[in-house]
Amino acid sequence: MTDVDDDRCEVGEGHVTDADDHLGPYEAVTAHPEGETTVARYAQTAADSEFAGVVVRTWEASVDAAAVREQTGVDVVSAVEVDADDPASASGAVGNARPKCDVVIVRGGTSTLNRFAVEQDRVDVVAAPLQGDGDVDHVFAKTAREHRTYVEVNLGPVLRAAGGERVQHLQSLRKLRELLDYYDTPHVVSARPSSHLEVRAPRELVAVGETVGFEPETVRAGLRAWGEIARENRRRRSDSFIAPGVQRVTREEDTG
Amino acid sequence: MTHLPKHARPRWRYLAVEIETWPDADLRRDSVQRALWYAAQNLLGDPGSADADLSVVRFRFGDGVGEAVVRVRRDEVSTGRAAVACVSTVDGAAVGLRVVGVSGTIRACEESYLRADGRVDDEREVVTQSDGRTRHVRGRLVDVETASGFVGATEIDYSETDSEIDYSETDSETDNSETDSETDNSETDSETND
Repeated sequence: MTDVDDDRCEVGEGHVTDADDHLGPYEAVTAHPEGETTVARYAQTAADSEFAGVVVRTWEASVDAAAVREQTGVDVVSAVEVDADDPASASGAVGNARPKCDVVIVRGGTSTLNRFAVEQDRVDVVAAPLQGDGDVDHVFAKTAREHRTYVEVNLGPVLRAAGGERVQHLQSLRKLRELLDYYDTPHVVSARPSSHLEVRAPRELVAVGETVGFEPETVRAGLRAWGEIARENRRRRSDSFIAPGVQRVTREEDTG
Repeated sequence: MTHLPKHARPRWRYLAVEIETWPDADLRRDSVQRALWYAAQNLLGDPGSADADLSVVRFRFGDGVGEAVVRVRRDEVSTGRAAVACVSTVDGAAVGLRVVGVSGTIRACEESYLRADGRVDDEREVVTQSDGRTRHVRGRLVDVETASGFVGATEIDYSETDSEIDYSETDSETDNSETDSETDNSETDSETND
């Protein structure tokens, strides 16, 4: 056999899926200065609550991810949650954020922003689509599936709100759940904590989800999905990635 | 009323719950019990709340950390857990709750999941920084008092410099000159970290 170059292109069979089963639940948090808790403290709480990782929605948050990982064993994922008033400014922010971080999130809240977010391949997650005047419909769910944009199921108001606000959120959540089920739209689940006191463990989120109508497996899958998005984007951002299914690999010299 | 025969008595499970708050909060067993009933009633309604029959049977709290044993009907562990998760404030103070285990007896619950010596966590140390801010240190965990409330941090945030965390945004109104220089430091720090 002839020598094989150290670096060469290889056409693989698409996505690497062998480690899917090992991904644990992740929580996506708002960290200091936007939230009340630093990333390191979130990681400590996440470790105590049996989360495998935290997705940091706040780009300005400073953290030594390696030190945090070493001390707590929790994976710290860099992310940006774009909070824009209209699609035009959101688009610019998404373009800036994409090359810098592992997960790009767009905060929904109006029908136009929700639609913008799900139509963009560059956006990974549309967050809090039901917040404010936000509403979802079948077109939203279908488009999200086509563009592989994950829709966030926000359990925050279920945990922390009461009365009319919570009832309205539960109503919207039911509509969202039925749409996600029917159109098989990818989704993520989060309690949207803005301090470590608002973090709730995966089992608790599953239990709360169950009481408001979500299948336990739906909630678990939604918590794992953050990690799946991060892993896929890290793979894409690594130097060896060329195109989907094509990556640069290092080959040992063939013998015999 | 006579005791029920053993087979007819209700079966219970006991949830071991860890509690965390900001350092200035003071929790009492009856206020936690009230918050739990309130959460259960809001989430599960009257019938669901009655079925779960939640009650706080053991409670310890001090210096921002605590633990409790919550009794729940055996087949309602999941709904009980959900109700516990929905307790977000007690008497207006934010609380973090975490179910760390479930047992069939109070004793097993305490021995397996809670601190056996009955004391709540290690001592909290209060440190005043050079800029007048107070830090509450408990092991690796640090709660910092700022003008707009507490910020939760850990020793990692302080490993390199005293001003690793940038409080300029939260404190900008109270002290200007000092925080400006801090801001510069921490910004360059975070850039080099990247």
